[in-house]
Amino acid sequence: MNDAWPTGMQQAVDRLLAFVAQDGCTDAEFDALARELFALQYEHDEPYRRFCQRRGITPRRVNGWKDIPPVPISAFKDATLSCVAPEACERIFMTSGTTRGDVKGRNHHPTIAVWDQSMQRNFERRFMRATPRMQMLTLFPDEQELRNSSLARYLSLATRSFGTEGSRACVSTTGGLDIDGVCRTLEAAVAAGEPVAVLGASFSFVHLLDDLARRGLRFALPDGSRLLDTGGYKGQARELPLDEFYDGLAQAFGVPRERCINMYGMTELSSQFYDDGNARVPSVKSGPHWIRTRVLDPLTGREMPPGQRGVLSHCDLANFNSATAILTEDVGVAVDGGFLLLGRAEGAEAKGCSLAVQEFLEAARA
Amino acid sequence: MSTDTSTPWKAGHLPGVDPAAVHWQALRFDAHGRSVTVEVPVLAPQQMEALARHVRDAARRVLQPMPVDAVIDILDRAVARLLHPQEPLRQELDALLPVVTGYDAEMVRLGLTAYLQTFRAPQLHRFVTQDFANPKVLDGFQPALKGGAVRAFGPRLLAHVWAGNVPGLPLWSLACGLLVKAGNIGKLPSAEPVFASVFARLLAQEHPPLADALAIVWWKGGAPGPSEALYRQAGTVLAYGGNAALREVREQVPVTTRFLGYGHKLGVALVGRAALDMRRGPAAARSAALDLARFEQQGCYSPHLLYVERGGALAPRAFAGHLAAELAGLAHRHPRRDLALEESAAVAAWRQQVEWREGGELLGDERSSWAVAYSETPLPPAASPGQRCVQVCAVDALDDVVPLLEPHADFLQTVGLATTPEELYRLGELLGQAGVTRIAPLGAMTQPEPGWHHDGRFNLADLVRMVEIEHGAERAADRLAPYAQEDRP
Repeated sequence: MNDAWPTGMQQAVDRLLAFVAQDGCTDAEFDALARELFALQYEHDEPYRRFCQRRGITPRRVNGWKDIPPVPISAFKDATLSCVAPEACERIFMTSGTTRGDVKGRNHHPTIAVWDQSMQRNFERRFMRATPRMQMLTLFPDEQELRNSSLARYLSLATRSFGTEGSRACVSTTGGLDIDGVCRTLEAAVAAGEPVAVLGASFSFVHLLDDLARRGLRFALPDGSRLLDTGGYKGQARELPLDEFYDGLAQAFGVPRERCINMYGMTELSSQFYDDGNARVPSVKSGPHWIRTRVLDPLTGREMPPGQRGVLSHCDLANFNSATAILTEDVGVAVDGGFLLLGRAEGAEAKGCSLAVQEFLEAARA
Repeated sequence: MSTDTSTPWKAGHLPGVDPAAVHWQALRFDAHGRSVTVEVPVLAPQQMEALARHVRDAARRVLQPMPVDAVIDILDRAVARLLHPQEPLRQELDALLPVVTGYDAEMVRLGLTAYLQTFRAPQLHRFVTQDFANPKVLDGFQPALKGGAVRAFGPRLLAHVWAGNVPGLPLWSLACGLLVKAGNIGKLPSAEPVFASVFARLLAQEHPPLADALAIVWWKGGAPGPSEALYRQAGTVLAYGGNAALREVREQVPVTTRFLGYGHKLGVALVGRAALDMRRGPAAARSAALDLARFEQQGCYSPHLLYVERGGALAPRAFAGHLAAELAGLAHRHPRRDLALEESAAVAAWRQQVEWREGGELLGDERSSWAVAYSETPLPPAASPGQRCVQVCAVDALDDVVPLLEPHADFLQTVGLATTPEELYRLGELLGQAGVTRIAPLGAMTQPEPGWHHDGRFNLADLVRMVEIEHGAERAADRLAPYAQEDRP
């Protein structure tokens, strides 16, 4: 398909698309594709190969997905993790770059088809469920405005694939949140008795809640309406405990907490995780059959026993070009049916007068 | 597996307060296969106000009439007792501190002894003389050089907000507060609520009237109720902590109250080629390794980076190798404490950053309880996650380090320096200009000398208020004396 692609990549992409399209998979099937993609990355992704070599890992020594060395997400900032030259990639998603100043993590997508299919298949099952299409309002700029944002792509694709006419982005980089537009659309949905979905970054919901409270507005959205928030809101103007946040959503929109879905995704991956509502928090998150998660000791890389906190490591087969296995900075614990997301490992708080790394970084940037 | 075998240990010291009327918060500590529950007192604002009044009045009654030499004598006797291995309170500290801090028991024991030795009578006298040429100004009016007389008054009530990174740290400011005869109320650090409580008890035993002139309390960091009640009553508020914590305290302190903040700092060490021959080089590495292992780099004086000069017989990379070997040895003698998940994540993140950096080399694998990162090019100072993780950089000349440090003046304090006498003074000048406030030998970075200027400030002089009787007032008074002769000026 593309001259710039290394040998074997097209076949891998074809296999992957078929794999994502199938209903579930066996452990052996998952391991086989994980091995194939690892071999591809080992051969063509130079910084990743060196990382593996330092650990003495070669494709011969990888039997299953758990043997693949997970790349720390900070490496997406320091190195170009790609089998294909960046200029030959259809899309490059970048992190917002909040933790290390202007250094942004980049995930290269030679073709966006895999990312798209992964998103659509999973979104359809976990968020749309039996509904083919519904009206969608997104609280985030459109992907035309933020070409390098995976969240913008996610929400635009959701609207395009599953939204009815009139679905749109209610936030723009220039105008901010169009609160009047949101209110008008929600009022119209209530009047028409048509369910509506509001999707966006968690911190946008916090702002929206504040705005609605200031106007003394509440909605009782029709049955079948649902909300999707993502990304958390740490470091934003206002931090809400999860219970308060979902109570606030339920009250402001008249949507029960079971229909307030949280999506957990990251630029460094090509697939997302969902919960089945937030009646209870923290909710159990799980992903589709092409992604698997372990809870690791961040330092030794050893798996933590079930029930013990560790750092989440995901093996996402849809991440075929950069690294299927990544090590996040998110703290979680393995439970039946998935994992609980407990927040970010921000580094230990310094207990005294030795300088905390984060504080130093902040000061150095100021 | 750890089991809690003991009943909760009560922290704090609350003269004049009924302990049954106070809420006790349990803090649990696990380390070395043992666990301890420490109960800390949380006072309601009204209780805090009453306590502040009690302590302030007692200090005026008991402490302020006492000559400074008598205060030194009490402190000296208390410290002497703690230096005695058979002293029950010392044994209590030796048993509790390793569990509470997680630090290696032997490291805590040795560190505490070395630290306490800097609080014996001769050192305390030096401490006072360092700030007051004539220490008697703390006891009464003394002739001033310019004429007239001066007298130093400590605050009637001094509030301390302590940090728990290094066991024993509260003794610094508590001793200062007592030497200037202030009533003292200290807020325990959640990470180490033991030492200050024990020391208060010891002082009360050594000199019972003193029991009423100091109190030890706790509140949850950021909780405004009891802290604001205390700050309203205090003449001076002294706090240790990160900038965020200090900002929080400063915002609660009334604008007319003196606030002294000791913020987070970053230490570095400079190893000159004079120290890098085949005999001295390995010894310097051994000293540097001790600075790194002591309290796991949690002190404001602890080193995070080492700059090693090229041109000695021992090349910088070889020095890094020696340092790694020394750290490996210390890992057996004084094992690193168990890391919490967040601490592990911080160490892992630091290791990853080194690994993915161009030209970065890492000595010590994931299983080592230490790590030496090596770079052939000098890097600007940056905080390591502690836990015996250090960056070693080669430099062509130690002078090259100065411009790297300068932009971070706000965070500089201690530099460990190994070089010749001439270079010591020449570089000392440059480093001082760059913002450094303490130059120490390698191996003693974590042990400041008595009377040091913490963060370049005056430990005692910053606490007092000078009161002067002007020369003119003296003369005017003379004219009003009953024996005054009208015709004489």
